[in-house]
Amino acid sequence: MFRRSTVITRRDFVRVGGGLAAVGLLGAGRRDAEGQEPPARSRVVLIRRQDALGEDGSPDGRVLHEMLNEAVAALLEIAEPAAAWKRLIRPGDVVGIKSNVWRNLATPPALEEAIRVEVVAAGVAPGDVAVDDRGVLENPVFKRATAFINVRPMRTHHWSGLGTCLKNMIMFVPRPADYHGDACASLGAIWKLPELAGKVRLNILVMLTPQFHGVGPHSFSPAFVWPYKGLIVGIDPVAVDATGARIIEAKRREHFGEERPISPPPHHIQIADTRYGLGVSDPQRIDLVRLGWMENALI
Amino acid sequence: MMRVQIGKVVVWSGLLSLVLLLATCGGRSGAPGLAGLRGQLPDEARGWRAAGGVELYDQESIFSYIDGHAEVYLAYGMTGCLARRYNGPPGEADLALDVFEMGSPADAYGVFTYDRDGERVEIGRDGLYRYGWLSFWKGSFFVSVTAESESAAAREAVLELGRSVAALITVAGAPPALVGELPPDGLDANSVRFLHSQQILDTHLWLGEGAVLGLAPDTPAALAHYLRDGWSAHLLLVDYPDEGRAERAAAAIAGRLLAGPPGGGPALGQEGRWHGVQQRGARLVVVIGAANEELAAALLSETGAPKGGG
Repeated sequence: MFRRSTVITRRDFVRVGGGLAAVGLLGAGRRDAEGQEPPARSRVVLIRRQDALGEDGSPDGRVLHEMLNEAVAALLEIAEPAAAWKRLIRPGDVVGIKSNVWRNLATPPALEEAIRVEVVAAGVAPGDVAVDDRGVLENPVFKRATAFINVRPMRTHHWSGLGTCLKNMIMFVPRPADYHGDACASLGAIWKLPELAGKVRLNILVMLTPQFHGVGPHSFSPAFVWPYKGLIVGIDPVAVDATGARIIEAKRREHFGEERPISPPPHHIQIADTRYGLGVSDPQRIDLVRLGWMENALI
Repeated sequence: MMRVQIGKVVVWSGLLSLVLLLATCGGRSGAPGLAGLRGQLPDEARGWRAAGGVELYDQESIFSYIDGHAEVYLAYGMTGCLARRYNGPPGEADLALDVFEMGSPADAYGVFTYDRDGERVEIGRDGLYRYGWLSFWKGSFFVSVTAESESAAAREAVLELGRSVAALITVAGAPPALVGELPPDGLDANSVRFLHSQQILDTHLWLGEGAVLGLAPDTPAALAHYLRDGWSAHLLLVDYPDEGRAERAAAAIAGRLLAGPPGGGPALGQEGRWHGVQQRGARLVVVIGAANEELAAALLSETGAPKGGG
């Protein structure tokens, strides 16, 4: 059989999934002219709480807000969450909260609201904060934004392998399909656009009920989500996504009882590191801070 | 447009043609198209009852219905999609029925092969059921029935609804001829994919960045996994309209896999697997990741040129 590989070791040549292989080879390791050196190390917070979801499976807004604040404080190594938020967001900022409205697994409105509350508490005028997904190119707040907070659920995806924080910014281009080639390899280029470059202050990968496999035209079945009850929070989108991808791969191994690599390979995460210099994809260089409930954390 | 007078009634023959087109709406060989199926879809299955009417989506509006994945169907020449929801009995989730009309039976087969997990069920052609989802192809149609939450009752409703829709499609269709030319020895039938798009290939077999194979609607391709005596390999066949395109593709993929020209025997890659690239007329034959040289050589030698000289 083929040897095991993981999402962040794309240099491994052959990957097998669903009886077929994906051959990962050329180009992933190069750094082109538009690239820049990523940070030497990145800090990422994984926070989980058993009470993050209610008995009916819906998110508990109060608990989510507490998780968010605890994670932000731990991320910035500041005791008080309010002070941590003020490190991220300044009173004069105009803030776009980039959400995700995919109908089967959307960003929880309670989490959007928690972010909005903290941004306003950090001194931003309420009229200078907006939440949007599909309408970011027309949203007047997003058009004059000085800062973005990126928040979306983790799920498998037909074109990119995984729907990640990196992928979530695809709505900032008028023709998203232009970035679907090579399993969305060039998503990192979007983060270099003037309207985004250097403005994304925080990335939150929602792992409350992540989706680890997709079936059918609508690419969703309740059979392939599970109550992980977590958030992955970081400033570095690559490190956040690479961490989430490891959990999804572990869940697939656990569920299928065999190596079932994500297909197509979500190599946009590693390419965002190696080609675009957007962050760290190597788990050896990610400082993972674990908070809260860690049973079956899969990482 | 010719005008025909019948008594005092003026009939525009062009209008008549349009009506007939709508009646068959892409139907082939006398089979009903989407418009014909639209009025025949079941209103009920095992206690699940149709909720509202039947929605019809075209190549533009499909993006609003299949959020984020419409390109899969468009890559196989989708011309339209019928969608209908069915409300379940108390405590049961809804069912979603989607009937896609594709560009040809080959494309209906192709989009079916996009996801081949599941247990075989005798519904339509090659019916598969897994996790509340039934899929099959028949004629130029790809049919999907999904239970939003699986239960024993929902499974039976899904299967019954699928059987009813399959019975409405009167033309069986045939798989693409290229699939029949995959060497049979050791072929994992459930691994066979038919495609003609780089993006679709990428989801099954990633050969590196860039569209080196020049895949297009006029280049049918078949991909399959083999297992012989415990040794595995993958085989990709692509038929081009002319030998020139096949030659260019062979050179490009050989440069990537073999670091040399195509046409020779298998070559050992750095990762310890064997690859091979050969051109047979207008056909490209690629062996990827064979566990040993003998298997790679056998798969190369067992694949011929396109029938008809190619």
